[in-house]
Amino acid sequence: MLKNYTPLFIFFLLTSTLFGANRNLECNLANDPSNIVVAGGSITEILYFIGEENRIIGVDVTSNYPKETKSIPSIGYVRNLSVEGVLSLNPTLILGEDDMGPPIVVNQLRDVDVELKIIPEYQTIEGIIEKILCIASIIDSDKKVDKIINSDLLPIVDEINYLKVQSIIKNKKVMLILSIQGVSPIVAGSGTSGDAFIKMVGAQNIFDSFKGWKPVSEEAIIKENPDYIIIPSKDVHKNSDVKSITTNPIFKNTKAGIENNFIFEDTMAMLGFGPRTIKSALKVVKQLSK
Amino acid sequence: MIFVRHINNYQKILVVGLLFVLFLVMLLATSKGSYVILFSDLLYENLTVLQSTVLFDIRLPRVLLAAFVGASLSLSGACLQGLFRNPLADPGLIGVSAGAALGATTFIVVGSNWLPNFLISPYLLPISSITGSALVIIVLFFITRGFGKEGITYLLLAGIAVNAFAGVGIGFLTYISDDSELRGLTFWTMGSFGGSNWSTIGIAMLVISVTSIWILKDGRKLDILQLGEAEALCLGIDIKKLRFNVIISSAIIVGISVSLSGMIGFVGLIVPHLVRMIGGVNHNYVISGSAITGATIMVLADLISRTLIKPAELPVGLITSAIGSPFFLYLIFRMRQK
Repeated sequence: MLKNYTPLFIFFLLTSTLFGANRNLECNLANDPSNIVVAGGSITEILYFIGEENRIIGVDVTSNYPKETKSIPSIGYVRNLSVEGVLSLNPTLILGEDDMGPPIVVNQLRDVDVELKIIPEYQTIEGIIEKILCIASIIDSDKKVDKIINSDLLPIVDEINYLKVQSIIKNKKVMLILSIQGVSPIVAGSGTSGDAFIKMVGAQNIFDSFKGWKPVSEEAIIKENPDYIIIPSKDVHKNSDVKSITTNPIFKNTKAGIENNFIFEDTMAMLGFGPRTIKSALKVVKQLSK
Repeated sequence: MIFVRHINNYQKILVVGLLFVLFLVMLLATSKGSYVILFSDLLYENLTVLQSTVLFDIRLPRVLLAAFVGASLSLSGACLQGLFRNPLADPGLIGVSAGAALGATTFIVVGSNWLPNFLISPYLLPISSITGSALVIIVLFFITRGFGKEGITYLLLAGIAVNAFAGVGIGFLTYISDDSELRGLTFWTMGSFGGSNWSTIGIAMLVISVTSIWILKDGRKLDILQLGEAEALCLGIDIKKLRFNVIISSAIIVGISVSLSGMIGFVGLIVPHLVRMIGGVNHNYVISGSAITGATIMVLADLISRTLIKPAELPVGLITSAIGSPFFLYLIFRMRQK
């Protein structure tokens, strides 16, 4: 396995230089990272992942993993924060994702005397690791985090890359569904986090002809004929549901349906672009290359 | 036949003509879609298994559902405008659509995490939505029962209150929903005929047909009601019973329609006006004409929705409003010139 680290190492060197500008701005050590308010689910997940969760004093509503976050005071929805709500918790540091908003609130938060850092987001495996490293350097736990990444994440990344080289995943046509409740299936078009996830596992997004998350007609699904269908496991929690999906005339008549290539995966894990996304990617890559 | 009484010959021809147009539009809608199926193949029975699945299990139920939903929204719009003697009445006004929407929203956001395992999944959304509209119907029932012949105004006001209350519920659920639920909600409130299959639309078609025929028999009473409530009472119309019949049957068919297709605006409001403008105002004609025209417009709107930007879909509610509003303005403009 060791030999596989070499290209990765080079890649890291490259990405570090590429993202260097951003890291200088936002990833510097914070003045006082003891009481952190987090706006963004992946950041909370990362703080728990590196064992620094005791610094968190407030989270937004998208921070729903792990379950313990429920007991932390909530500052509302990440794109619709209020200045007073955030400041009432007396944070010494605010960590936000790049979709933190609204812009006027972000500007107001920058004006008050609390440090605000917006973590750069790149929706790739390297981007996730970069994000973890960035947060680590903000709270001054680089060494510890390097160790965690080396032991917990790099072997997974390695296996993903190994499987991607070994099999013919790049020819696999994948459809990623966000929701199948009540309307036509809402699927990932280009420019979405779903599209980024499909690219991360090395497959082709069947619906990259349009932008954004859009409902598609059932006929179009049959016509495009995906090899694999990724379905949010939230819409499925029991065997009867799995059966109703796999025997649904829309899916049944695609290649995925005929070969029973359904992948049920937690949407938030897949599309949050935190450490869980890498684990999700490995799971999906394994199924794509079987 | 009770339905052809009080309809003049011109209107009879018109209704037959509208039926013919509906037939043509449904034929067109069944022959077009993202998945190409040639009409000649169907004619010579050359279809592959996949083609016939697309045609008969996916496209045909969808076209039929669109027709039935269009018919029921327009028909209840026509009846409610007659009952309230108000040209602005539509199925949304009495709060039933909002009730159904609240039921569906509750399921999309809360239900999928909390409901027990033994329930069967594809029916849950419609059931929860029908429960929402049924609750509103029960409220309306008690309100209409309490008032005498002057209760119409209060009913309208009650509708506004119910709408506002459901709005609060939907707003709150929107607030607590996560990203994927939010997207589901947003698209649901703009309407879609996706996900139609025979097992759900079979029941809907049956209930909508039976209820529609039940409403049709009250057409003449609605005509007499236009003279005024006191006059209608003197002419022997049981207004309370008429009101009960119209409201409950509208609520049932609208609840079922909304539960299967989401919120589709404007059709229930403009179609009755359109039908009145081309043929006359007597209700036996307006009700049946509205049902047919509503079905035609909805099938057409759904055809546009699923083919305009394929493979993606436009929400059908956008199309009905986009076609409906300018056309309606044009009709009003023409009336002014006369």
